[in-house]
Amino acid sequence: MRISQLVLCVMLLLVPFAANHAQQDQPSITQLLNEPFLDDYYSNVVYGYEIVTNTQEHASRYVGNSLNCSNCHLQAGTQKDALPLNVAGMYPKWRAKNGKRNGIGLRIRECFLYSMDGIMPTEDAPEVLAIAAYITYLSQGQVLGAEPEGRGVPTIPDTGYDPNPANGRAVYLAQCASCHGQQGKGLGQMPAVWGGDSYNKGAGMNRIQMAAGFIWANMPLGNAKSLSYQQALDVSAYLNLQYRPADPNDSKFLKLLEHLIN
Amino acid sequence: MITKLLREATPSFTWRHRLDNWRTEIFAGFVGAILVIPQGITYAYLAGLQPEYGLYCAIFVTLFSSLLGTSSMMSGPNTAVAILIGTAVVPLAGRGSPIYIDYVFLLCLMVGIVQLLFWLLRGARVFQYLSPAAISGISAGAGFLIIMASLDSILDLSTFKTTFFYEKLYVILSDAGSLVNPYSFVIGICTIVAGYVGRRYSPRYFIIIAVCAGYICGLLVAFIWPQTETELEYLGRMPLEWLPFAVPTVNIEYLMTSLKLIPYAIAIAFIGLAQSLVIVRELKMETDQHIDLDKEVYAQGVSSILAPFFSSFAGSGSFNRTKVNQSLGATTPLSGIVAGVFVLVLITFLGPILTYMPMAAMAGTLFIVGMDMIKWHDITHYSLVRSELVIYLCTFVGIMFFGLAVGIEIAVFLSISVFLVRISQLDIKVEQSNSEPVLKVKGALFYASVAHLTEQFQSAVGKNLTVDLQYTTHIDQSAVDFFNREAKNMATKENTLTLMINEKQRRFLEKLGANATIKIVMI
Ligand code: HEC
Ligand code: HEC
Repeated sequence: MRISQLVLCVMLLLVPFAANHAQQDQPSITQLLNEPFLDDYYSNVVYGYEIVTNTQEHASRYVGNSLNCSNCHLQAGTQKDALPLNVAGMYPKWRAKNGKRNGIGLRIRECFLYSMDGIMPTEDAPEVLAIAAYITYLSQGQVLGAEPEGRGVPTIPDTGYDPNPANGRAVYLAQCASCHGQQGKGLGQMPAVWGGDSYNKGAGMNRIQMAAGFIWANMPLGNAKSLSYQQALDVSAYLNLQYRPADPNDSKFLKLLEHLIN
Repeated sequence: MITKLLREATPSFTWRHRLDNWRTEIFAGFVGAILVIPQGITYAYLAGLQPEYGLYCAIFVTLFSSLLGTSSMMSGPNTAVAILIGTAVVPLAGRGSPIYIDYVFLLCLMVGIVQLLFWLLRGARVFQYLSPAAISGISAGAGFLIIMASLDSILDLSTFKTTFFYEKLYVILSDAGSLVNPYSFVIGICTIVAGYVGRRYSPRYFIIIAVCAGYICGLLVAFIWPQTETELEYLGRMPLEWLPFAVPTVNIEYLMTSLKLIPYAIAIAFIGLAQSLVIVRELKMETDQHIDLDKEVYAQGVSSILAPFFSSFAGSGSFNRTKVNQSLGATTPLSGIVAGVFVLVLITFLGPILTYMPMAAMAGTLFIVGMDMIKWHDITHYSLVRSELVIYLCTFVGIMFFGLAVGIEIAVFLSISVFLVRISQLDIKVEQSNSEPVLKVKGALFYASVAHLTEQFQSAVGKNLTVDLQYTTHIDQSAVDFFNREAKNMATKENTLTLMINEKQRRFLEKLGANATIKIVMI
């Protein structure tokens, strides 16, 4: 009697594990983090995850500001409408800019150069390869070549009005300054939205449409989609006007100086 | 014995009495620190690691081996060791990935353990059997590998990999237009030219001149073209910590895979010690430092074991920095200790400036270092003795085609062979007294050399024979057996074998069972 109960208990205990195992064909990040030994692929996935969530510590070699990848690619790149990173199936992709097909590597390196205001790692730098492995891991289950649901940021429909930075300033002070600070430098753990420690002028986030989409869909954090389309456009126009590091393509001398000074 | 080992295991600081000119020592340490920074960065690149690991190596390995050692040798990152670390770990994991770093740390632990075994077994003597030609050959081969590795970075060839050097050269030559990155090529050439011109004026600091020229050239390029166009690789920010503690991961899975690393660990331990001991022995001959070879072995082993705990990889003595150190007048380990500390301070201040250091400039200095390691005068020097030349060339060519590890094996094997062939040679002089031949034997008479006697015995068939063993250094069982057999043979033809030996040899022969048919004459 006792023994059969015990067996039953043990089996019941095992059920969640078995079910878990059947559901997922690949281990979750938390599982991977607790593993004592990982093979080459999974160790790179974990490394990539660590870089994305804590770029300052794990890829500081290439970083020039105080952001982390996950400040824009929210939830370590898993949140829809917040530039999710499950996009491995979309690359390589043709670029008009250099007339070549470019892999995910170049896209990652560009985010280092612009969004992180740093220097470009090489194509085969361990950090780049690790992030690419992480992106592949996130893209598990996506259809190759098909645009994943919620890729990038939502497009703001035409509101019929031009973005107005003056209104944007009011919105910023009312809704955003509590976290990002009056001076845009970020308070405490919050990321900077302008100034020397933010993304530079070449970054995707410095395009008004892109930033408006991001802000509308995700900001203010915890109260997303509370702004109107017009407010989102206004506030991103305001952000766009603020001082931030130079575009590495336009003002090289300034860029050099900036890097040498900090 | 144990007290002796303990005495060796604790830092002695006996050199503190010789610290009358500590200012020289500190200046030498400062120069050493400046010189080691480019080396640390480039050797980390050779080992497949991020630059900061090389700098940690420059700090902590230098510090530990000077603290525990007894000489003014400058230890730190070393080319051959770095190359071997790279070749050992690359098959196990992608360069620079976290697993890769774990394996490097594990490898260094193993290297340290092997080196400490060398110390316990009093292995410092072993290295005397390694022929100088072998060491020059290894260093020339390593130089060649370094040149090849530097080409990767100077020409920006990171995207393709080849197994043999001629393949690489062929690919470069046949497809230069689309493969070679002109920007990094210009920076690399600029560095190399500045290095060679700079050497004219300052043979001591020319590496610094080269680095600066490359850096300025890189700045100019960065000023005109954006990085998206040049695709240049920059050093980047180095996240240096003052105390980068790390605990190497050791668990079953790692240990299973790392069994493959053991041969490399032995090779690295060996080559690291070999280089350090050559340097130390030279120092001992040229200066009046009180150097304890065993203690140096211990210092090297401990610094290899401690290296992974301070995020660095194993190192060894550095020829060029020790030379500079010596020429600046340093005679105690203080200069090494100071150098380690200065690197830390310098890097903290230089950090932001170094961000824009192009790797092509670093590779340019590597190219110069590699060229320096292949010395023409070595070849002409060793060509005088055929066996030495064979060792030198075989080692060099072996490294060129099969890598450093195989090359080292070849070098060790050939050195030992030449050594054995040499000592198994007998110097036999045949003299006649009363129309009977007398053989005067010089050398060691043992199983390998007995064969040489046979010929002489055969030509003297039918005569009484005298063998003079006065100058024989060693007699073993097979030699005695040989004499017994021959004496019996001769007895059947009514000839006698006479041995001329001394008292010690007589007792020895009796113990080994010399036959009564042998006539013994005492000298
Ligand atoms: C300042 C915000 C910001 C930061 C920080 C940032 N990114 Fe991005 N990232 C963007 C934006 C905006 C885009 C979309 C750009 C575009 O489509 O032109 C993007 C696109 C990408 C894409 C391509 C996504 C797709 O849908 O194709 C990848 C991959 C990527 N980033 C990786 C990274 C990595 C890795 C880091 C950290 C080193 C990083 N990003 C940091 C803003 C950022
Ligand atoms: C509750 C605090 C909070 C509020 C309010 C808030 N943000 Fe954010 N914001 C964050 C945090 C936190 C992140 C980083 C996301 C992460 O790490 O998960 C972020 C990221 C951002 C980013 C991208 C990263 C960067 O530094 O460029 C932008 C742009 C941004 N916020 C703009 C805004 C705007 C505009 C508003 C006002 C409408 C706003 N935020 C309101 C907390 C806030």
